[in-house]
Amino acid sequence: MFIDIDCAQEKKYNQNTYGDYFLSKRYPDKDALIAVLSDGLGSGIKANILATMTATMLLKFVEAGADMKMACEVIMNSLPVCKVRKISYSTFSVAHCSEDGEVKIIEEGNPKFIYISDGKVIEPEYTVIDSDTFKNRHMHVYKLKLKLGDRLVFCSDGVTQAGLGNPELKLGLRRSGLMRFLLEKINDTPDISSSELSQFVVRIAKNTETDRKAKDDISCCVIYYREPRRALIFTGPPYHQEKDYEYAHEFYESKAKKAICGGTTANLISRELQIPVKCNITRSVGKLPAVSSMEGVDLVTEGILTLTRTVEYLENGFNEKEKDAAYELMQFLLNSDCIEFMVGAKLNQAHYDPNLPIEIEIRKNIVKKMTKILEDKYIKRVTLRYI
Amino acid sequence: MNKIKVKLCMGTTCFVMGASELQELVDILPEKFGDKVEVQCATCLDLCSSSSEGQAPYAMVDYTVISKATVESVINEVERKLKNGQE
Repeated sequence: MFIDIDCAQEKKYNQNTYGDYFLSKRYPDKDALIAVLSDGLGSGIKANILATMTATMLLKFVEAGADMKMACEVIMNSLPVCKVRKISYSTFSVAHCSEDGEVKIIEEGNPKFIYISDGKVIEPEYTVIDSDTFKNRHMHVYKLKLKLGDRLVFCSDGVTQAGLGNPELKLGLRRSGLMRFLLEKINDTPDISSSELSQFVVRIAKNTETDRKAKDDISCCVIYYREPRRALIFTGPPYHQEKDYEYAHEFYESKAKKAICGGTTANLISRELQIPVKCNITRSVGKLPAVSSMEGVDLVTEGILTLTRTVEYLENGFNEKEKDAAYELMQFLLNSDCIEFMVGAKLNQAHYDPNLPIEIEIRKNIVKKMTKILEDKYIKRVTLRYI
Repeated sequence: MNKIKVKLCMGTTCFVMGASELQELVDILPEKFGDKVEVQCATCLDLCSSSSEGQAPYAMVDYTVISKATVESVINEVERKLKNGQE
């Protein structure tokens, strides 16, 4: 299963920074991720520093190999108390999620998370750990086993207390109000992404506030277990020409979203499967050949130049005025979770002509470079296959 | 009379060797010759891999391969073909 996670936030009205802090990190070698949401006391810069410190420390603790329960306990017991308000400096929720569905959650002070499975809210059991040093501090520890389609929604009290004091909502939106909105939304759009759902919650909270002015920092983090979005990219002709049909067929039959990068590769698939390639007559944008199209394939581009440019965009961001083929390819990659490359190992002699004015890189090298960026910077799962 | 078909290769080699400029023909040819000519771009004409055909960029005017194609050389070939067709 793939874990889709995102967080949306809104600053307290009239503040210039967020008082809640969200942090998450994936560990691809362990097929897991850790997410922390911390709410700093008060708002603005002070709250931001408190929340950032709490969340960062927690993550570093767990990352360094500390037991999550122990790390949380240490932080709960050591968080200072505000002199004015006599309450602790920050609250937090931590989730450790494995791709097999094992989830461990610890909460201290934040509103209880909402666990939604099959369109219903489940209230899981938890154990309470009291603080040794502070009477009013308790941790809730959960162990869950999630399945495909399940969601966890975490939020700061800015969401549950939105609208507090309104004539209609004396106690604010509350957890029960948020649940109603969530279930309705998920019922309407069962596949809604974490990014969209978290933004929806923030919008709801803001709309509940009087004059749409947030009285506290609003944050919502959604964790969604879903099927990964798969993408398959065919680039370069296979080394053994007699296998062209086999590979072309395999590519075309795949259920993943498909892209072809390379003129010769596109011709090869077109020839083997008798599907015409339509080359775009519109002038190419920038310094790259325009995209072409083929029935059943989501994107067809030129090879080396486009791949090289895409690596640049992935590395440094897209700052051009016009969207070119490399932009399309970048979007194609970023909208997928698991990416597989079929890299044909046949060399095109013409690419080694010393008369070529610019450096044309070796396909294998570019794809390798792209893989590294996609894995390190964009946390995608990439597999490479040389054919 | 059949239309003359012009194909411009937009493969990697041709593109870096100057096919990006050949794309002007997409506008120039219909302006100059009206509906007597049809221009297409091709993902790759697979001519660069067989070196016997000359050097990139390549274009094809009907079945004639033009190597080291320029806007002028393609226009000249189209003119020659049109002239031959009238005779």
